[in-house]
Amino acid sequence: MAGSTTVLPVVSRAAEQFKARHPDIQIIVNAGGSGVGINQLGEGKIAIGMASRDITREEIEKFPNTTFVTHAIGRDAVVPVVSSEIYAAGIHALTLRQIGQIYKGEISNWREVDGPDRDILVIDKEKSRGTRHVFMAAVLGDKAAEAPGADLVLGSNNEEQTAVVQSDAAIGMLSNAWLNDDVKGLSIILSDGTMVEPTLAHIVDGTFPITRALLLITNGTPGGNVKTFIDFILSAAGQAIVKESGYVSIVQ
Amino acid sequence: MISAFISTGIIFLIVGILLMNSWNAITDVGWRLFTLKWNVANEEYGILSMLYGSFMVTLCALVIALPLGLLTAIFVSEVLPGRYRFYAKSLLELLAGIPSIIYGLLGVAFLSVWIGHLFDLQSGRTILSAGILLASMILPTIITLSDDALQNVPDKYREAANGLGLTKYEVFRSALLPIAKADIIGACLLALGRALGETMAVMLVIGGIDKIPTPFFNILLPGQTITSKLGREIAETAFGSDHFSAMIFMGMILLFVVLILTFVAQHCFNPEQRLYE
Amino acid sequence: MSRELVNKCFVLAAWGAVGISCLILVSMISVITWNGLGAINLGFLFTEARNFGMSGGILYQIIGTLLIVAVAALICLPLALGTAISKSEYLKNRRMRKLCTALIYGLNGIPSVIFGVFGLIFFVNILGTGISWFVGSIILAIMILPTVVLATYQSINSIPKIYRESALTLGLNKWQVILHVVLPQGIGGSITGLLIGLARAVGETAPIMFIATAFSGVDIPGSPFEPVATLPTHILALAQQATAGQALQNAWGASLVLLTLVTLFSVTALFSRMKLRTISQR
Repeated sequence: MAGSTTVLPVVSRAAEQFKARHPDIQIIVNAGGSGVGINQLGEGKIAIGMASRDITREEIEKFPNTTFVTHAIGRDAVVPVVSSEIYAAGIHALTLRQIGQIYKGEISNWREVDGPDRDILVIDKEKSRGTRHVFMAAVLGDKAAEAPGADLVLGSNNEEQTAVVQSDAAIGMLSNAWLNDDVKGLSIILSDGTMVEPTLAHIVDGTFPITRALLLITNGTPGGNVKTFIDFILSAAGQAIVKESGYVSIVQ
Repeated sequence: MISAFISTGIIFLIVGILLMNSWNAITDVGWRLFTLKWNVANEEYGILSMLYGSFMVTLCALVIALPLGLLTAIFVSEVLPGRYRFYAKSLLELLAGIPSIIYGLLGVAFLSVWIGHLFDLQSGRTILSAGILLASMILPTIITLSDDALQNVPDKYREAANGLGLTKYEVFRSALLPIAKADIIGACLLALGRALGETMAVMLVIGGIDKIPTPFFNILLPGQTITSKLGREIAETAFGSDHFSAMIFMGMILLFVVLILTFVAQHCFNPEQRLYE
Repeated sequence: MSRELVNKCFVLAAWGAVGISCLILVSMISVITWNGLGAINLGFLFTEARNFGMSGGILYQIIGTLLIVAVAALICLPLALGTAISKSEYLKNRRMRKLCTALIYGLNGIPSVIFGVFGLIFFVNILGTGISWFVGSIILAIMILPTVVLATYQSINSIPKIYRESALTLGLNKWQVILHVVLPQGIGGSITGLLIGLARAVGETAPIMFIATAFSGVDIPGSPFEPVATLPTHILALAQQATAGQALQNAWGASLVLLTLVTLFSVTALFSRMKLRTISQR
């Protein structure tokens, strides 16, 4: 298995528990991002791909011999995150449009959004990452949008989190499971003026505008060990792991 | 005998395969490969930013490491008392062996943070950080090889120069340097080749932005090198696509440059060039 | 400026350079050691990584590294011996010899990531082996081949002609000369070269990170065509979490272990160079 770093924690933990119940089945897990997951599944190198976004049309066309079958195992939100210093200085929410402008480079100083007078460190992700697709679709209207205002381009959720922590004026995009004291999630101000916080409740009731399903993808209908593992994740024990990792269970 | 063929043939195999795989890029994208924008979704494969990044990072590394390394080599060779030589050489060999990923770890955890604070930057992930890291990596190599070069100059030259009453500096400049020059240049070229090809340390601290910084000589901004791009993106590239070809093309350029450097360096080291034998 | 002054500046600069170099290099090692010691205890070394390496230890990473490297050595040694012997015994034309040497040096200079990409295209895609640790061993063997060939060649070359001539006068044919005279003398050099090469191979990340390794779920591979976990790739994954406390600590611990392995190989190479010298060099 390989793919999204968002789905990875769930799958890693599930694999550990799964191994305890089925010691003869080996599950090998790699990261790489949603793009890698889909790519390697298409090339037949892995049995299950992990993705935190939908498969693009180009990817389907690239692999005509693969029937991509998706299995949703949870939901999460992609949250615009800022360094804790920015949050403490008062920036708690932004509109989608403002975030888009930041990434396009039209807003370059926190001062312009009523924050401290510091240049915004815009942290972007590699283009094939699931988190980026979902984020850009919501913020700039195009999942493959260019972000001319970006200062850094990083890879996994972990790397992005590290960079946000290391800076005192950063903005980035992370799954809600990666929020902590140093990495604060912004609420989104909707077009009618309401502020929606990135909490689990808002993911469940759909008010938070940037949510997505976490997917396991197989080539065709899964059978055998693959099916057993996917069933495990969809079971109560598996879903408990999903919740433990900070995401929303799919069965709600 | 077969093994000899395999060993020498492998290099052709590698070059050949890379060439085959970049063919698509050359035919489909052509000269547009040498543009500035890299955007896979729009089928833009401009690799100039990466070439520039590799170049700048290596330049930084050399500017720092060459003077430092040469002077240290002079010290080890000419000033250090003989009985310490064994320890110094062993230490240098040890340091030359530190794996690159550990340099990367040091870079991410310490160096980039320091650079960020030192220059009051938004992010310490810059071309300069990568350059400094690379400089540390090639420093032991430069020191060892330059020291070897200097040691290879027979003592009689030193004795003659000293006999004439020359100071240490003059001994170096007029007696040692001309003879050791070829080897030292060879050492520098090898170090250059190594710096160009380094992946892990650079990948973690360079920032991954596929752009040439504005202004172009600003090394306190993030950038992208050939090696870093290959390391990060190759796994998500579909084999055989234009994207893949473009990446392989980049790799091929790197390979050719490094190979040329290596061959020239070997020529420098060629013992038949030595004048004093 | 007077000659004395120029000279003083020069010597001062040399001392200064040494100071800076030492500072850089020594501080690096101390940082690694200091931070790493904090993370290492018996449990760390012998348990498996859990939870992305945030907890647990590095047992399978150590095993993976040792496995890949040991097999790489096995692949490399005969190949290198063959090459060096052919070059010294069979290749009489000077030009061929120089060409051979040049090609081997060329191989030595190839960047590690290119090896990885080559492995990806040739083995994983064209030959369809998938992600396999054995392919990783092959690639590593190719990487350290030049080092071993060179070391072997040097030690073979230093065998005085008289050994070969005596053997020939005794009536041995060429093959027997190789077997009984050249090989025993040359093997010392190749072992030294192998150890030096292994010291390098053990720390390589780029060649194997796309073709031989996986992040979790791996224990001892059952077949040559499975991935394996190694120390350098593990450190890479942890380095991307450089601010998460426990992960960073584990990264230092893994780095220290890796560094220890490298040092072990290097020091052994040093001893071997001194002990296994051919008779002629003693």
